[in-house]
Amino acid sequence: MSVHLEPATESLPPAPHAEPAVLARGVWFGYHPRRPVLRGVDVTARAGEVTVLLGASGSGKTTLLKLIKGLLATGQGEITVLGRSSRAGGRPSALDARVAYIPQQLGLVRNLSVLDNVLVGAMPRIGTARSLLHWFPRDEIVAAHAVLQSLGIGNKAAERVLSLSGGERQRVAIARALLQRARVIVADEFLSQLDPVTTDEIMTVMHQIAAQGVALVMTTHELDVVTRHADRVVVLRDGLKALDCPAAEVTSDSLARAIRQ
Amino acid sequence: MSAGPWLRRILLVLLAALFAYSLSDVGLLETDRLQRGVQNTGRFLRGLFPPAWDVLPDVARAAGETVQIAFIGTALGLVLALPLSVAASPAITGRGVALTIRLLLAAVRTVPALLWAIIFVVAVGLGPAAGSLGVAMYSLGYMGKLFSEAFDGVDPEVLEAVRGTGLGRAQLARYALLPEAANQLLSQLLFMFEYNVRSSSIMGFVGAGGIGYYLLGYVQTLRYQELTTALLVTLVVVLAIDRLSAVVRAAFLSGRV
Repeated sequence: MSVHLEPATESLPPAPHAEPAVLARGVWFGYHPRRPVLRGVDVTARAGEVTVLLGASGSGKTTLLKLIKGLLATGQGEITVLGRSSRAGGRPSALDARVAYIPQQLGLVRNLSVLDNVLVGAMPRIGTARSLLHWFPRDEIVAAHAVLQSLGIGNKAAERVLSLSGGERQRVAIARALLQRARVIVADEFLSQLDPVTTDEIMTVMHQIAAQGVALVMTTHELDVVTRHADRVVVLRDGLKALDCPAAEVTSDSLARAIRQ
Repeated sequence: MSAGPWLRRILLVLLAALFAYSLSDVGLLETDRLQRGVQNTGRFLRGLFPPAWDVLPDVARAAGETVQIAFIGTALGLVLALPLSVAASPAITGRGVALTIRLLLAAVRTVPALLWAIIFVVAVGLGPAAGSLGVAMYSLGYMGKLFSEAFDGVDPEVLEAVRGTGLGRAQLARYALLPEAANQLLSQLLFMFEYNVRSSSIMGFVGAGGIGYYLLGYVQTLRYQELTTALLVTLVVVLAIDRLSAVVRAAFLSGRV
């Protein structure tokens, strides 16, 4: 299975040594002023790489992802995503289609068809009037079908999302991100409800996508995912960075120690 | 002992005292009146039978008009309530606009359907047009509230993820808010229609069309057998609408529609 990418991403060469797609420097953030969740974290994610954030519950992984996507306004520090920088109070990536966000429950619209969920990714290009009338350009529909086909769910396009299995829903969320022509995909615990075989399949797909010039930043609790599929791993502990190194240099045991220490 | 149980006892005594006072105040402790009431009810019930079937064609036509009033009223209410309740969603328009529209809907809701009907009888004259508009305004108030509460219940993660693709507010409403809340909206729409069929049956009391005109007329002229026919037809219509709603609801929720 090879994944079809939309033209904007397809044309990007893998550029692991170029300027980082995501650059977080000295990021502090707290939902309550006296209880910071992140305490001066630095993280770098490059195009073409799968960067995995690990950490116990409450270590600040999800918060960091939300800051990268702009769902939360930056506290102290600076986050630069695809060249757009945000300091205190800013969240420039919130509506930036180049930064796709896949939340834990995937954020799909269950009552819509698979095709419509995927076409949501193309809507900023289509324009308000046409999309409100459900009048999509032919090339966008063809592209959506091609992406679904390449992800192995081409036969599910007309079905409503609520009738799909967990693995199929995962693929719909990925397809939406691809139609969005995302250059950064931020995915929060999106493998948590999958069996090991499906997890492997989905990660193989994600690796192919990353290899075509996309920066994938994801959180997980599965240590195997890091050793088998990640390029880089960052461990967060109590809001601080406890480890940041190439995934090839770690084992499941060393990761478990870094998380718990 | 803590203050909790004592406070509860005092509240219960106060509630009982208020109940007894109100019972007396509304005249339900006057034994003469109650005795008369029992006798009158017996006479009334005996007078209801047998039903007078000769009025069936008139009554059936009026029942049809009642359903039409409910149908048109609910549909017009829906057309008005849907955009307003979307605009009353803070996720779409922001807190300020949402709060203003919610206050407007609350104001519309304070006027009962029958009073709306009277207002429209004055405005457009006697007949089902006034009833339909009255039901529409009442439906607007209630559906606006129910719909905006359904939108409040939409998973914020879905809205975040969809909005994050770069969608505008109208697109977000069309492709996330409305479809995510669709099951609840349909359920509430059908409930409103069922309710409106019942409330439309008294629109005729104020000259706003439907079977209420006959119900009131038969009571006022003591034609109880004709009243039975009208009540039976109303019952059949209400039960049929309830059943139809249940079928539509089940078909939609199971994904067959």
